[in-house]
Amino acid sequence: MSLLELQKVSLSFGGLKVVDRLDIHVDEGEIVSVIGPNGAGKTTLFNLITGIYKPDGGDIVFDGTSIVGLEPHKISQRGISRTFQTLRLFLNMSVKENVMAACYGHTKAGIFRSMVRTPGMRREEREIEELARTRLAFFGQRLMGYRWDQPAYSLSYANRRRLEIARATASNPRLLLLDEPAAGMNPTETHEITELIAQLRDEGGYTILVIEHDMHVVEGISDRVVALDHGVKIAEGSFETVATDEKVVEAYLGLQTMSSK
Amino acid sequence: MDQFIQLTVDGLTLGSVYALIALGYTLVYGVLKLLNFAHGDVFMVGTFVGYGVLQELGGPMNPKVPIWLLITLVTVAAMAVTAGLGVAIERFAYRPLRDAPRIAPLISALGVSFFLSNSMQLLFGATPRNYDLFEYNAGSLYLRGIHIGGVTIPLLRITTIVAAFVLMVILWFLVNKTRTGKAMRATSYDREAAAMMGIDIDRVIVFTFVLGSALAGAAGVMFALRVPTNVSIGFIAGLKGFIAAVIGGIGSIPGAMIGGLLLGFAESYIQGYVSTQWSDLYVFTILVLFMLFRHQGLLGRPDIRKV
Amino acid sequence: MTDSTPHGFHSTGAEGPAVGKDEWVARHAERRFMRGGPLGTVEDRLRAVPWWAWLILFVAAFSLFPLVETSGYVRQVAFTTVLYMLLALGLNVVVGWGGLLDLGYVAFYGIGAYAYALIDSPHYHHHFPTFIAVPIVVVVGALAGFLLGLPSRRLTGDYLAIVTLFFLQLFQTVTTNWQHVTGGPFGILNVDPFGLDHKHELATEHGGVFAVSYLYVALGMFVVVFVALRMINNSRTGRAWRSLREDPLAAEAMGMPVNWLKLMSFASGAAVAALTGSLYAALFGNVFPLTFYFVTLITIYTMVILGGSGNQAGVVLGALIVSPLLEMLRDPGKSRAAFFVALVGGLVVFSRRSPRMAAVALSTLVFGFVVHIVCSSIHGSWVAGEHHGGFAGLVDHWVVAPESMARWIAPASYVGVIGAALAVVVLSGWKRLAALVPTLYLAAFVWENVMLSKPEPARYIVLGLILIVLMILRPNGLLGERRVEIV
Repeated sequence: MSLLELQKVSLSFGGLKVVDRLDIHVDEGEIVSVIGPNGAGKTTLFNLITGIYKPDGGDIVFDGTSIVGLEPHKISQRGISRTFQTLRLFLNMSVKENVMAACYGHTKAGIFRSMVRTPGMRREEREIEELARTRLAFFGQRLMGYRWDQPAYSLSYANRRRLEIARATASNPRLLLLDEPAAGMNPTETHEITELIAQLRDEGGYTILVIEHDMHVVEGISDRVVALDHGVKIAEGSFETVATDEKVVEAYLGLQTMSSK
Repeated sequence: MDQFIQLTVDGLTLGSVYALIALGYTLVYGVLKLLNFAHGDVFMVGTFVGYGVLQELGGPMNPKVPIWLLITLVTVAAMAVTAGLGVAIERFAYRPLRDAPRIAPLISALGVSFFLSNSMQLLFGATPRNYDLFEYNAGSLYLRGIHIGGVTIPLLRITTIVAAFVLMVILWFLVNKTRTGKAMRATSYDREAAAMMGIDIDRVIVFTFVLGSALAGAAGVMFALRVPTNVSIGFIAGLKGFIAAVIGGIGSIPGAMIGGLLLGFAESYIQGYVSTQWSDLYVFTILVLFMLFRHQGLLGRPDIRKV
Repeated sequence: MTDSTPHGFHSTGAEGPAVGKDEWVARHAERRFMRGGPLGTVEDRLRAVPWWAWLILFVAAFSLFPLVETSGYVRQVAFTTVLYMLLALGLNVVVGWGGLLDLGYVAFYGIGAYAYALIDSPHYHHHFPTFIAVPIVVVVGALAGFLLGLPSRRLTGDYLAIVTLFFLQLFQTVTTNWQHVTGGPFGILNVDPFGLDHKHELATEHGGVFAVSYLYVALGMFVVVFVALRMINNSRTGRAWRSLREDPLAAEAMGMPVNWLKLMSFASGAAVAALTGSLYAALFGNVFPLTFYFVTLITIYTMVILGGSGNQAGVVLGALIVSPLLEMLRDPGKSRAAFFVALVGGLVVFSRRSPRMAAVALSTLVFGFVVHIVCSSIHGSWVAGEHHGGFAGLVDHWVVAPESMARWIAPASYVGVIGAALAVVVLSGWKRLAALVPTLYLAAFVWENVMLSKPEPARYIVLGLILIVLMILRPNGLLGERRVEIV
């Protein structure tokens, strides 16, 4: 059974159809890439899955139950977590706190227990601090050591991307949505992130849906590729099938060939 | 029936004042996405400027100029001074904060509001000022007018309402038919894109503040023609104008007009038929209902969350 | 904006950081905190002192204060300052951590005071013992905060500000008009002081002098609130609040129930305000609607912003500065002293930084004496005005104070000084320095002749100015961390 299944999901803003009767499924343990030109509706797709937008029609089923209409935080607590294309870290909080904050969904201590620091609350704090340590250690020494207590704004761009991934995994998700994880990275870093995504699946056990523009990354990680254009699925299959698909080539290059004439 | 007509006229007068204040909020919000808390105090300054000019020109008892000219001069002076004040506030209290976190200009605006009302109190004291136009020619401005049923709608009322609508039409023309108006609308739609298209954003913003503040000045005079003014009037008037703008849909110009009139009618009828003391409570209820069920207001666009 | 993409500065291995942009940025942040020399060492040592040690030190110093200062008036000012410290701590929860612009905050202070007054006064003949009354008040306050939060919970900054501001106005309407419950504008009188019952009460004064025991009660509450809030801030709720402030959408996507957290933040702030309200009512023995209005709101906001919103020690410092300052400005003599201390202090500090400012300071000094001599030679009455104590001698021969002023002088000079100050902001280079001299002198003139005689508006003008100038020059306040926001 698929972990995530979108059934004929549609969304329009005003008269513009951003996503049109889209069917996508992601199986447990898979890495699926979503590609498509700008404005194809990729990020909108993520916003639909995470509950930021409500679909006009269709259904989104996660782990056997529909998640349409649930608030974003509920969806996150069900086990879907994401990163943002534009990076939305909690900039004035420390690296550690960024990760610990995302543990909100699976911790329990309320205001009163926090106030008096009950033993249970303190145990929980130790647990999530340990969790933050493991999640950050995933990236080697990059986010550890002295950076542990530094505000997120002092990080470099690449490290911010890493921190976002670490934060996304802190809510113990089953499905991880990565929105252009390699955007703005140099070739070395891009190579590293490619390996990292595979590692996330193999060691972390996450199912991953990723939006990516860099075809090297897509080729390197994907079990399956879905191509979108104007909110419609135009191709699906292995990287080779999709990359050579006529419609996909047209979607990416069509306008260019037209204008170059 | 007579009471109804009376209340309707009251509501219309009050509503047009609210609408003029609300327009100031809405214009500035449209362009800067800033709630200009100091707007109510600019309005208050307008009422005082009007009072000062009125006294200088001999007062209502023995005016040095014909009465129509007197009222026009008072209004124009108030509009000129408030326009200048608005520009100064923008230049010194808001412009440095244009790229700051969103809460920063709001707090600066609170500071300006507090500064203005207390400065006025420092200079002119807390005593109420009355335009006393009733004194003119044995109350002819109030006693003459149109008779509907048993109700007299005084000349002054009619003038006020008409003037307010004329101002709104002029505003509509400025915003919709002039180049600067077009630039204004472009800026409110997307400031950065407008700047890249060669629109001088600073000029547009200054223009916006001139328009909004001048309207507040005019509203101030219209308000003070009805009831005495004092230095703390800005808080309440500002708040009401604010609410009118929100009900109409903040950022929308026709919305502010409709919101202002609606609020004026609502207050007038509530005070006439239900309760004078508790009208604030009802207005609050209306506001909360709007917030809950249609927080973009009557004519506002629902905002799409950008991710 | 975000940093631009690094190009090839990065080491390839994952084994550890090498020199790159990343490292530079990080070290830069470190460098910001580091200072060389003995001052730097002292600063490092001070940083190493844990927060609770500072708290103990501070409270101990504050508690010893009444031993040195026996004036009932000064002690009462100290008490009021503690009240403000509590209020600032509560507002910090909502504004500093939650990032919500709550303009109805003082209404909860009022609700607390009224709630206490209703259950502990002859008004309804209820006299609850304090250990029952205060918890009731806190719960009522929290509930009120929760209820106000309900319609506001879906609202972002601006709309929230409107609803809460109107709520404050509503609080005024209700307390003023609902006469048989709240006593209307005349308020509720003879509120009980704290105590177990009628026989065991903590007297508010001894022989007409402020009873210092209330200062200790207030300090005790302050410590409890400070520690409790600090604990919350350092828990999952606190982290979630700050996440909410940083980026509500990301917070929601990371599993934090944003609306619920907003309600909690509102309610916690309101509870602290209500607690402070009960303290207020118990000591002063009466409550009136106008105590809980715009003026108090702005005062608390100034404290929080001045000290550094988001930083507990900062907002306490803000209250420690603003509350006594407002008290000083009440009295012309002290007010005058405060002004000249600030003027001279400011000039000295800036002069140390640049010799050009030293020139400005000197010129201002000379300018003043010259103007004074010129004015006195024109007519004796121009400088024969009454001086309001404080630094008599020297200052009296420096700033002009006419015996009587034409009606237009006050507004003209006041508007003039504002205009001059704005001109100084606009000008640059030597023109700015040149304009600064007459501006400073004119400011002194206005302070001496216009503002000293009207302390009520004058002190609030100062508050408004502090808010505006702070927001522009140092929005993070004295102790607040530098904030970064990327839109």
